[in-house]
Amino acid sequence: MANEQIALTLLMGVLLVAVTAFLTRIEDWRSYTPLAGGGGGTAEESGYAREEKPGGLIRWLTTVDHKDIGMLYGTYALATFTIGGLMVMIMRTELLDPAATLIESTTYNGLLTSHGITMLFLFGTPIIAAFSNYFIPLIIGADDMAFPRINAIAFWLLPPGALLIWAGFFVPGLMPAQTAWTMYTPLSAGVGAGTQSGAGVDLMLLGLHLTGVSATMGAINFIATIFTERAEDCTWANLDIFSWTILTQSGLILFAFPLLGSAIVMLLLDRNLGTTFFAVEGGSPILWQHLFWFFGHPEVYILFLPPAGLISLILPKFSGRKLFGFKFVVYSTLAIGVLSFGVWAHHMFTTGIDPRIRGSFMAVSLAIAIPSAVKVFNWITTMWNGKVRLTAPMLFSVGTISNFIIGGITGVFLAAIPVDLVLHDTYYVVGHFHYIVMGVLGFMSFAGLYYWFPIFTGRMYQRTLAKWHFWLTFVGTQLTFFAMLLLGYLGMPRRYATYDFSIGPVEPVTALHQVATLGAFLIAIGFVIHVWNFVQSWSEGPIIEDGDPWNLRETNQYTREWQWHHRRMQTTIADGGEGDEEGEESRFATDGGEVDDADGDGADDANIDTDADDSSADTDTVEN
Amino acid sequence: MDEQPGLSEQYRRASAWPLFVALGLPLAEIGVLFGLVPVAVGGLLLFVGSIAGITQESGYVERPWNLLAGLGGVLLVLGAVLALSQIPFSAGALTAALASNGLVVRGVSIVIAGFVAIGVGGVGRFVEPQSV
Ligand code: HEM
Ligand SMILES: [Cu+2]
Repeated sequence: MANEQIALTLLMGVLLVAVTAFLTRIEDWRSYTPLAGGGGGTAEESGYAREEKPGGLIRWLTTVDHKDIGMLYGTYALATFTIGGLMVMIMRTELLDPAATLIESTTYNGLLTSHGITMLFLFGTPIIAAFSNYFIPLIIGADDMAFPRINAIAFWLLPPGALLIWAGFFVPGLMPAQTAWTMYTPLSAGVGAGTQSGAGVDLMLLGLHLTGVSATMGAINFIATIFTERAEDCTWANLDIFSWTILTQSGLILFAFPLLGSAIVMLLLDRNLGTTFFAVEGGSPILWQHLFWFFGHPEVYILFLPPAGLISLILPKFSGRKLFGFKFVVYSTLAIGVLSFGVWAHHMFTTGIDPRIRGSFMAVSLAIAIPSAVKVFNWITTMWNGKVRLTAPMLFSVGTISNFIIGGITGVFLAAIPVDLVLHDTYYVVGHFHYIVMGVLGFMSFAGLYYWFPIFTGRMYQRTLAKWHFWLTFVGTQLTFFAMLLLGYLGMPRRYATYDFSIGPVEPVTALHQVATLGAFLIAIGFVIHVWNFVQSWSEGPIIEDGDPWNLRETNQYTREWQWHHRRMQTTIADGGEGDEEGEESRFATDGGEVDDADGDGADDANIDTDADDSSADTDTVEN
Repeated sequence: MDEQPGLSEQYRRASAWPLFVALGLPLAEIGVLFGLVPVAVGGLLLFVGSIAGITQESGYVERPWNLLAGLGGVLLVLGAVLALSQIPFSAGALTAALASNGLVVRGVSIVIAGFVAIGVGGVGRFVEPQSV
C-alpha cells in the first residue's frame, strides 16, 4: 500500500515535470503578446507574418484550426466505429445459435454495454462534430470557431474518455461494466447481488462524464459561433439548413448533457460514498430513469437532427432543385427540438408510473411524429420531378429516407401505451432505434464523407467501391434490423446472450437471429470496403482540379464551402494532377448519374463564384 | 518579438495547452473519486496549471500567476469544506480521520493541490521579473 503510494507519487511527479519541460521547450510562455478576445482574429488567407501551424505530429497535437480538429474528430469516430463494430460482430456471431457457444454471458453483457456507449457517445456525437467543425465556419463565412482553444480541449477530452470507458476490458483485475447503456439502478448502483460494484463501472461512468463535458463545450462553442461569427451576408434569413440543425442540436446538448453529468456524479456518489440518491429507501431507482431519460430522449434527437440536416443539404444538390419547403424543414427541426424534452417517460411506460402521466407522455410522443413526417414529405417532394443523380452520397441519402420511415413509424407504434406494454424490452425496440442510429446517423455519416471527400483530400473516391459499400450496407441494414422487428413480435427479449424457445418445428427465432447476423456481416464487409476506398483514394485517387466536382454551379447550388475549396485550390496551385487523357470531368461530377442541364430552380444559396475554371484537365476515375 | 518565439507565437493556429487541460481533468477526476492522493494532487495541478496557461495565452490575463494562485485558493476552500464537514475541528481528529474516512482523504488531497498551486503562483509572481 505504502509502496504503491510512493510509486504513484513518483509517477505523477515525473509526469508533471515532463509536461512542464515540454511546455517550456516548445512554448515561450514568458513572451506571449496578449491577443485580446481569444486571438485568431486575422483573416484566413492573409499574408500574415506568422505561419499557421507547425509540422508533423506536433501540428496535430497542438492545432486549434477548426478544419484540423474536424479531421481529428473524423479519424477518432472512424476508429471508434470500428471498435464498436467489432464488439457487435462478436455478439452477433454468438447469437447464431441459441446456446452460449462462443463467449460467456457476462462477456456478452460487457460487449453489449460498451457497444451501445461506444456507438452513441464515442462515434455518434464525434462524427457529427467532425462535419460541423470542418464545415460550419466555412458555410457561415467565419474565420474559425468562436473559441478555437475550447474546441481543441473538447476534442482532447474524448480519447481519455474512450480509454476509461473501455478500461474494464484491458486493465487486469477489472470487469467491464454490464449495466447496458441505460445504466439502470439498482443494478448500476452496485447493490443487490453486487456484480456491478467493481471499479470497471466507475471508470466507465467517469469516461462517460468526460465525453459529456466534451459535448457540452462543443455545443457552447457552436452556439457562440453561429450567433456571433457569421459573415456579413449570412443572415438568419438565409442561414443554411445544416447550421440550423447544428444550432438546434447544440441547444439540446446544452440542456441535456449537464443533466447526464449530474446524474452520473450522483450515481458515482451512491456507489462510492454511501449517498442514497437512487436507493430504494432514498430517492428511489425510478429517479434514475427519470433523470436518465430526460437526457436520453433528447440525446436520440441530438444524434438524429444533424444527419437530417445533412439529408436536407445533400438531397437538393443531386436533385437539381432547391430544398422543398425550406422554412418548414427549419420549423420542424425547432419543433422536434422543443418537443423532445417532453416525451422522456415513453421509455418508462412499464415501470408502473401513474397512468395519467403515461397518457400525456403518449400524446406528446405521438405529436412528435408530425414534424418528423413534415421532413420526410419535404425530402420526397424535393426529389419529385427533379433531375436525380444517383451518386454515392445521394444513394445514402435516399436510403436514409426509407430507413427513417421505418424507424419513425415503429417509434410511433412504441409510443402507444398498449403496444409498448407488449413490445417493451424486446428486439422490436432494438430494431426501431437501429433503423435510426444505423439507418440515419450511420448512413448520413457515410453520405457526408463521400460528398465532401474532394474537400478533405483534393481527390475523388472510387465510385464503384462506393456503390458496393452502399448496397452492402443497405441490404445488410434491412436484413439485420427488420429481422429484429420480427423477433420482437415473436417475443424475443433484448440483451440476452442466449435464447431458448422453439415455436414449432422451424424455429423462427433462431432463423431470424441468423438472418440478423448475416446482415451484420454484410454491413461489416461494406465498411471494410469503405475504409479501403477511403484510405487508398486519399493517397492515390485522381486529383481533382475542378473546384466544382459535383457540378453544383449548374443548379445554382455552389455553396460557400465549395467556393472556399475553389479559392484554396487556386492559392495552392502546386504540382498539377496526373493523367488527363480522357478529360471527362462529368464522370466525376455525376459519379455515375446522368448529367443534366440546370433546370434553373434558383437555389436559396446562390452565390456563384466568378470564373468557371472549366479546363477539361481532369483525371479519369479510378475504377481500373 | 523574442529571439526564440514560442509555438503559439510562431504559429497562429496552434496551442500546446488544450491537450494538457484535457489530460488534467480525467486524472483529477480519477484521483479524487478513488481517493488516490498523488493522482488527485497531480491531476488537479495539471488542470489548474493548464487553465492558467491557456487563459494567459489567449490574452485574457497578462501573467498566469495570479490566476493560478486564485484557482489554488478555490481548491483549498473546496477541499477544506469537504474534509471539515466530516470532523470536529482539531488536528488530532484530522489525522485520525485520514486513516478511516475516505471523504477526509479526498478533501485533504484537494487542499494539498490548492496549496501547491498557490505556492507556485506566488513564487512565479516574484521570481519572474528577474528571469525575463
Ligand atoms: C417518431 C419519433 C419517435 C417516437 C415516437 C419514438 C418512440 C420511442 C419509444 C416509445 C421508445 C421506447 C420503447 C420501449 O423501450 O419500450 C423508443 C425507444 C428508443 N428510441 Fe425512439 N422514437 C422516435 C424516434 C426516435 C429517433 C429519431 C431516435 C434516434 C436515434 C430514437 C431512438 C430510440 C432509442 C435509442 C430507443 C431505445 C432506448 C433504449 O431503451 O435503449 N427514436 N422510441
Ligand atoms: Cu424516446
